[in-house]
Amino acid sequence: MLNLIKNEWIKLFKRTGTFVMIGLIILLLTFVGIIIRSQENPDRGTGSENWEEQLQTEINNREQELKDIQNAPQSMIDSYQRDIAINKYRIEHNLSPHQDYSVWGFVYDASNIIQFAGLFVIIVAAGIVASEFNWGTIKLLLIRPISRGKILVAKYITVILFALLMLIISFAYSSLVGVILFGTPETTAPHLNYYNGTITEQNMGVHLIILYSLKSINMLMLATMAFMISAVFRNSSLAIGLSIFLMFAGGQLTAMLAQKFEWAKYILFANTELMQYIEGVPLIEGMTLAFSVMVLVVYFIIFQFLAHYVFHKRDVAA
Amino acid sequence: MSGVVKLQDVSKTINGKRIIDSLSFEVNSGEVFGFLGPNGAGKTTTIRMIVGLIGLSSGDITISGYSIKENFVKAISQVGAIVENPEMYKFMSGYQNLMQFARMSKGVNKEKVDEVVELVGLTDRIHDKVKTYSLGMRQRLGLAQSLLHDPKVLILDEPTNGLDPAGIREIRDHLRMLAKEKDMAIIVSSHLLSEMEMMCDRIGIIQAGRLIDVQRVRDFVNGAENSYQLEVSPKDEALLVAQQLFPTIKMSLTDNGIAGQLKKDDIPLLVNEFVSKEINIYGIKEISKTLEDRFLEVTDKKGEVTHA
Repeated sequence: MLNLIKNEWIKLFKRTGTFVMIGLIILLLTFVGIIIRSQENPDRGTGSENWEEQLQTEINNREQELKDIQNAPQSMIDSYQRDIAINKYRIEHNLSPHQDYSVWGFVYDASNIIQFAGLFVIIVAAGIVASEFNWGTIKLLLIRPISRGKILVAKYITVILFALLMLIISFAYSSLVGVILFGTPETTAPHLNYYNGTITEQNMGVHLIILYSLKSINMLMLATMAFMISAVFRNSSLAIGLSIFLMFAGGQLTAMLAQKFEWAKYILFANTELMQYIEGVPLIEGMTLAFSVMVLVVYFIIFQFLAHYVFHKRDVAA
Repeated sequence: MSGVVKLQDVSKTINGKRIIDSLSFEVNSGEVFGFLGPNGAGKTTTIRMIVGLIGLSSGDITISGYSIKENFVKAISQVGAIVENPEMYKFMSGYQNLMQFARMSKGVNKEKVDEVVELVGLTDRIHDKVKTYSLGMRQRLGLAQSLLHDPKVLILDEPTNGLDPAGIREIRDHLRMLAKEKDMAIIVSSHLLSEMEMMCDRIGIIQAGRLIDVQRVRDFVNGAENSYQLEVSPKDEALLVAQQLFPTIKMSLTDNGIAGQLKKDDIPLLVNEFVSKEINIYGIKEISKTLEDRFLEVTDKKGEVTHA
């Protein structure tokens, strides 16, 4: 099995496309870093003396608004309540919201790069089975003394390893850019989590790692889907197109459906944003972390089963 | 001599159409078995079934006693194959390609890879990218790939496709050598009949998914009696003389002499007779049928039967 993964890894890194992907991520992170640095407010930290007053006014405003908008959607009310709770917590525990923009802030902002990295992981996942068919090399691959199941598993593991590499590169490189451009703060303020009306403090580094892992779940599920389509239809364009479309539109479509139908909570994309359980409010009332994890596991099993079933049965005739 | 590859009542139905119909034959170790048939007869489908790329609808295929259906890994570990064109990873060198396949079989080390590269004569170019290879070189690389794990069975689909005459000859010699010295069972399909004639010990003819004949090449070619053509004059007199001498053999007139299905030993007798009767002999020619003639003959005949 180790040899099979090694083979896949070599095939992946013998192609220029793979390096272009990594290069693009590094380029984009550098670019974003420079833009943020150049737009940064030179007199940062102004108004930090009377931040408690400002927060208090904000709280009052929000509370007033809450009374006015009785008929607003639940999500809006929840988000107002969240702001109020966090601001109150800050005043009580003397935690100024005016932190100098530092490496942590940048790594936090840069976490959106995961969507971009996800794009590349989907491309790799979509190609890893389909290209063997396109190249005709599938014939030589499947006449080795190795079961088809093992070959497919090795390919999937390679996709996961590639996703992991992209994440590590994103995290490590954005930390590096952050340190160089924005420096490290003397004291790192903890991150405040709001969930179900309670607030918890969390170490910033730990929070960022959790943020990155949870944000990559979406990428992982889409890559698994692309992998499945690739194995079932032997067509990488279809796999890439469908997966990327769903990556950008899936969330919105689900949110629209969620307003009308209760069953929308069983849609994959209602459950990929696990951050909603840590900061923010669930898409549909009554959804819990455990529920989402269950749904994700079920989707994962379905995707894997389809990929393996079809790949095992397939007659390689072309 | 024992059946290494055995096909038993193998059938394949795709979309309700019977592509392969109850195919049964055996290939022994140490022999080159030619698989012959017109386009679309099911040669490639059969080969794909033997190597497990296509599933069987019914029947079974065993390799060294292991069923390709039940015990795929054990069965296929005895097989090296090129199925149609030897497609490789073009963005890698020939050597890197071979290393890919070496990692997938047990006990293939770098020395073995080098040895095989030497055998197929690719040593000079093995570190170049495959996309720079000619078709002939890819064919050699394909052969190298199939020999890496010392298989007992070698299956080659159109192995001489795209090779120049020197290359064809080389492959032919390789195959004969592998069958003799390594006692391999080799299955070759080709549409070049003259090639098959020189390369194979036995041939199986497949048409419309059915095996219509398996014979030794020599028996097959010589299946019909040889005929001889004699350039003589005057030919009418010669025909009369010949018919008197061999009343049971049918002789006929040709443009510049006579012809008939004679035995070899009959020739001197006939010549003596002609000389004594003062008939001039200009030449005697043996007309042996080629595999091609026989092939067309056999497929035509059986084709008519199935059409009727």
